[in-house]
Amino acid sequence: MRSLTLEGASFWYPATESPVLRDVSLEVAQGEIVALVGALGAGASTLLLVAADLAPRVTGGRLAGAVARRDRSGIVLPTPWTQLSGMAFTVWDEVAFGPANLGWPTHEIARQVDRALEQLELVPLASRNPTTLSGGELQRVIIAAILAMDPGLVLFDEPAAELDADGTRTLWRLIRLLANEGKAVLLATSALDALPDVADRVVWLEDGAVRAVGKPDLLADVAVCDAGLGTSVATVWRAGGLPGPYPLTVAHAVQRWR
Amino acid sequence: MTGVRLHPFTLLAIAGALPALAWILPAPAGAAATLAVALVLTLTPGGRPGSAGTRLSPGWRPGLAGLRTAVLTAAPFWLFLLLLHDVPTTLSIGLRITTMVASFVWLVAALEPARLVEAMVAAGWSASIAYLLAATLSAVPVLKARAQRIVEAQRCRGLSSRGGIAARLRALRALALPLVLSALHEVDERALALETRGLVPGIHRTPLAPPPDPVVERAARWVLLLACLFALIRRLM
Repeated sequence: MRSLTLEGASFWYPATESPVLRDVSLEVAQGEIVALVGALGAGASTLLLVAADLAPRVTGGRLAGAVARRDRSGIVLPTPWTQLSGMAFTVWDEVAFGPANLGWPTHEIARQVDRALEQLELVPLASRNPTTLSGGELQRVIIAAILAMDPGLVLFDEPAAELDADGTRTLWRLIRLLANEGKAVLLATSALDALPDVADRVVWLEDGAVRAVGKPDLLADVAVCDAGLGTSVATVWRAGGLPGPYPLTVAHAVQRWR
Repeated sequence: MTGVRLHPFTLLAIAGALPALAWILPAPAGAAATLAVALVLTLTPGGRPGSAGTRLSPGWRPGLAGLRTAVLTAAPFWLFLLLLHDVPTTLSIGLRITTMVASFVWLVAALEPARLVEAMVAAGWSASIAYLLAATLSAVPVLKARAQRIVEAQRCRGLSSRGGIAARLRALRALALPLVLSALHEVDERALALETRGLVPGIHRTPLAPPPDPVVERAARWVLLLACLFALIRRLM
């Protein structure tokens, strides 16, 4: 079942003449992970804001086309320190801020918060002041804060930007787990190497328009690699002048060598 | 020694009543009395975790910082008053303004925004309005911390904030522009984040841990209100 549908969506920020998104059509089904890839300024972050119903409602601007959401959405923005509520002195309270705003009973808030803290391996930090955390810890707190609101559609904008290698692995596992629970996940990321294992579909955005949609194999496509959006293995293979099709992962490369 | 943790409404009532009484009571004696109380309050360290907050407990260092902030903020007012008025008028207006400043400085140090939101939501106020008020009160320490970071960053780039007036003005410009721009940028992102976390008009937020509001404190707030009204009526008659 579709969680998010965009049909011919175009978006203009206030006081701009050219659209940031151009005629974008996209569907994300429940239990599916769709990754947005593209160069800086390709429109991935804006697409997430539109999907989250924040653009144009909060940002201003103009939206053309149709956007249909079946589930409540939650978005994780790329800068964790600007997403703190400023009203909590412990990580537990910070994560509970959103669920409390939804008016849930306290026992349900506690259940969701505890669950989210466990999922993000934040239980040992539950009583820490969020302002004393590192960037990576803070990013996990913000992700937990969104997940504690139990959104059906989860949107991630560069979720691994502040995370170390361990935190990143935990994040990708968690995203897979969310999809297995039936949530729809739409993420914009430059961590291309993770996508073959994480994403079900990849959408290549260029200048605000959808250039191509496909399985993660798309990241080994010649045109994608030419645009600098291939996986590391595909990029190295291409740089070495080896013949296509390019391998997507190390495992694929090993198979090709044999 | 365990400190006394006052209900946020009590803190607001005290911080509101002192300036009100300072202006209502005859100067300079009335204003001097309210100022004395306000300055003593600034000496009580706050209990906001990590900085200064709601706990009226012993320990003088944070309090001295509050007192210094209040005195330094009020000093320019005294200077201009002296230039414009005679000494008795300067004294009466200066004492009142300093009471206002000291009360606000104490309130900012003593009031935990999160407790205020909880208290207001528990009392039936809109969560959005509660957040707006709490965020306004917490803006001062947040901007102060950000300004400190910007000053440190500019010093790393060789900007000196010492020396003559011209050098200090250059330093002020180098501080003000990034401070305003970064604050505006953060407001944008924070608005998006708060929306996605459910802080929208018309919500019915669940109070997570509403602060206890003892009968004594409720009575004290009424006493403060009645004292202000009584003083006003007495002054007008």
